[in-house]
Amino acid sequence: MKIGLEMHFQLPTRSKLFCSCPTTSAEPNHNICPVCLGYPGSRPSLNRKALEAGLSIARFLDCTIEERVWFSRKTYFYPDLPKNFQITQYESPLGTNGHFDLNGRRIGIWRVHLEEDPGRIKRVGRSGEEIAFVDYNRSGIPLVEIVTAPDLTSPEEARAFIDQLVIELRSLCGLEAQDEQTVRVDANISVGEERVEVKNVQGLRNLEKALKFEAIRQTKLLAAGKKVIRETRRFDEERKVTSSAREKETEEDYGYIGEPDLGEFRIGDMARNLDLKETPLARARRLVSSFGIGEATAKQLVLTSVTLTDLFEELCGHVPPEKAVSWTTGPISGNWAVLQDRARWSDIIQIVKDDAEGQITDNEAKRRILSLAGVQQEAAAEGGDDLAKLISDYVDAHPEVLADYRKNPKAANTVIGHVMKESKGRYSSKEVVEEVKKEMEKRV
Amino acid sequence: MSAVYDLIRYAQLRHRAFTEVVDRLDDGKFHFSAKDNLCADGFQARAGSAVLDGYRPPFDATPIQKMKEVGGQLVGKTTMDEFGFGTFSTNSAHGVPLNPFDLERSCGGSSGGAGAAACLIPGHIALGVSTGGSISGPASFCGVVGLTPTYGRVSRHGLIDYGNSLDKVGLLARSASLIAKHFRTIAGPDPKDPTSCAQPALPEKGKMPRSLAVPKEALQNLDPAVRSSFHDALARFKDIGVEVREVSMPSLRFALPAYYILATSEASTNLARYCGMRFGRREEELNQHFNDFFTGVRSESFGDEAKRRILLGTFCRMVGFRSRYYLKSLAVRQLLIEDYRTIFRDHDAVVTPTMPFVAPRFEDISRMKPLEMYGADVLTVPPNLTGMPHVSLPCAYVQGLPVGMQLVADHWKELDLLEAASAWEKAFEYRFPEVSP
Amino acid sequence: MDRETIARVAKVARLNLTEDEMERYAKDLDDILNSFSVLDEAPAGESYSFNPIPVVDVLREDEPAQDLDPQVLRNQMGAYEDYVRGPRLS
Repeated sequence: MKIGLEMHFQLPTRSKLFCSCPTTSAEPNHNICPVCLGYPGSRPSLNRKALEAGLSIARFLDCTIEERVWFSRKTYFYPDLPKNFQITQYESPLGTNGHFDLNGRRIGIWRVHLEEDPGRIKRVGRSGEEIAFVDYNRSGIPLVEIVTAPDLTSPEEARAFIDQLVIELRSLCGLEAQDEQTVRVDANISVGEERVEVKNVQGLRNLEKALKFEAIRQTKLLAAGKKVIRETRRFDEERKVTSSAREKETEEDYGYIGEPDLGEFRIGDMARNLDLKETPLARARRLVSSFGIGEATAKQLVLTSVTLTDLFEELCGHVPPEKAVSWTTGPISGNWAVLQDRARWSDIIQIVKDDAEGQITDNEAKRRILSLAGVQQEAAAEGGDDLAKLISDYVDAHPEVLADYRKNPKAANTVIGHVMKESKGRYSSKEVVEEVKKEMEKRV
Repeated sequence: MSAVYDLIRYAQLRHRAFTEVVDRLDDGKFHFSAKDNLCADGFQARAGSAVLDGYRPPFDATPIQKMKEVGGQLVGKTTMDEFGFGTFSTNSAHGVPLNPFDLERSCGGSSGGAGAAACLIPGHIALGVSTGGSISGPASFCGVVGLTPTYGRVSRHGLIDYGNSLDKVGLLARSASLIAKHFRTIAGPDPKDPTSCAQPALPEKGKMPRSLAVPKEALQNLDPAVRSSFHDALARFKDIGVEVREVSMPSLRFALPAYYILATSEASTNLARYCGMRFGRREEELNQHFNDFFTGVRSESFGDEAKRRILLGTFCRMVGFRSRYYLKSLAVRQLLIEDYRTIFRDHDAVVTPTMPFVAPRFEDISRMKPLEMYGADVLTVPPNLTGMPHVSLPCAYVQGLPVGMQLVADHWKELDLLEAASAWEKAFEYRFPEVSP
Repeated sequence: MDRETIARVAKVARLNLTEDEMERYAKDLDDILNSFSVLDEAPAGESYSFNPIPVVDVLREDEPAQDLDPQVLRNQMGAYEDYVRGPRLS
């Protein structure tokens, strides 16, 4: 199976792509001006931030960046399109030939480019007779279009791909969480030879459903010895099926011409000088390869907090990575909100170091961390009693363990295992082993 | 009522120079007009088209705003060919302007009304717009001075587009000094029009051109009266110490096709927005499928020439034809710019007649085929396609009708042209029709 | 230019043409394009620009601002409950 995606994300700029109307949420037709309404005599001017965001994305995806780009007019008629042409970089993308690392596999990225969003239509009236009520707030919002090679191999993988891409883009340029409202995808999917395009799917859940339906539809056709027709289909959100869009109106000839009002942009230097932040998943991969920690752990870290991950990396300079992991994902993580402002990182690091070197017990280290976080605690001794109680309660309840221990010291492991489980990590394994051995020896 | 106001009304009623005029003149302000494709708060802006009937822009075009800021009163909107499509202002949905020298003849186009207003009203400055020669042509036929600045010199914010890489706002008036004064007013960068932000600053003064070049290819197919008038004018230039030499511009023959292809390609996209939904709104017809609605409004409201140019422009952009027509024309534009640059290495300006004939009669125009009409632009198209600044100056009168000549300078050298215009009117006296309103 | 082509161009441009008009415009376009065939003799050129003067890197800062009161625009578009009513979708 081959799946390729053409995704449209709204860029988080404060003003629109070609005019200075605000992009905040507002009552219908309040964020409008002659430019985004396509009034006669109005003309576009390009938002610098949008260009920079588009370039960051192109560079992040390792695209070849063009030295010189411009915009084109794509002409077609629809009630949501104010000028009845869309201004797009379709003919002159910011970057081409890039890739995205998806769980160790490379997904090819064919192009990254900017274009303007049309207005939004509210369908009003009886089905079959609906009229368009148009809200132009959305008209002119900057979109980045990202087109992949048909390298995805299943609907699930396609979903995972977009989920991960969004995580990265959120960090890179502040992209909003892509919910049902904002991400729009055209997908190409072929089970056999012929490629079917499913157009204009809104939202990630719908995308997954549409792809799954289409994959099954094509598979069934082929299994029955029939042909899959190469065509464009639409996804019906309510019936959850794709249907042929052949009966749709006039085939358009977009008749692309350059947009003279904007001129051209020499983006080579701008792209080279961009300071790109390391994105979460890329960072996770680096942590795995640099520190040998598990992939799931690395992902959990980067997705929890950037600063916590920063602390983790610093800790790795002082203690073995496993220690750094258990402390970072354990007590530090639980209190990070307070710790990151309140405590000096050097203090935290010292505590973990002392624990790693056996200078203090796990319990004591934990107590000190909590203290740094200003958490009220009971005396350490009680913790110790608690451990002793846990051990003696168990041994009292299971006298056969003592009998086994006399024959083979390894029987202590049963006690250790139980106590570790019961105490839910309150005590370090070193502590528990010591205390259990002490108690066993006492009783023997 | 003042004499000036009487003249304005006379120009409107007798010569149909204006689509609308103000009720009264403001004290202490100078009067100017604007072609009806320039938006102004308080006036309709219909660009000579029925598709914009009733449209009242909520903002001023930048050139109009700038004129107001220095004390100008916009006294009226001038008649024009629909969206700029025409050379005789006969494609106007709001009245065809009549030549100040002869009511049975054309004012030229597409800024015909501006030409008439500038001619009939002393001291009047008319804002016009040129895409392929629509300031020069009317200036020539109406016997006034017409300056078309470099593309990108004057902001197009508020100009209803014909061709975005070709449109320029310019000025028509009886004298070079009036034009020089107001050229400085309207020139300058405007963030609302990015193409106006590439210009160098205007110098303090211009330099009088000392050497003029006449491309021999431009002297073909001229009306004999125009040809001899032009040669007399060249002799007069020599008399005032300006050198004149013949040169060759081999790419000139490509200019007209390249211009019409680029202009109509851009226009056919610019006019896509006129579909009855927002400005020029057709409330009553909304209850149809959107394609039928759009098609209905457009078919009813666009004139014949507008439809022809939309069809031509749409075709030249279509898959399979784009390379041969649209892309090729872009290349030709660059070729012509190089031709001009070669000449400007050795000469200060290129000079030709403005139009191949004097103002034609309406009955003759009605017999012209489209291709013939386009051919009338053969001398004005080259500087317009290449964005070079140019000025049209009256240089002769043939049977009472004015003949124009056109000087073209390199990009950004408007002030040099105005020096030449100023020197010329000292050497050659302009005549204006006697008017008794 | 055959009838099929002119009909297609008209459809793309959203213009209704009568049979007479189709014939007339087809002929006009034929004449015009034939005379424009001289362009085939011009060299193709390598890169191209969309403006006759260089317009390069003109950018606007990302600051929200509205010059015109949107209510004025809504009134002009005959907005109904803030929406612009358009034609039917099917």
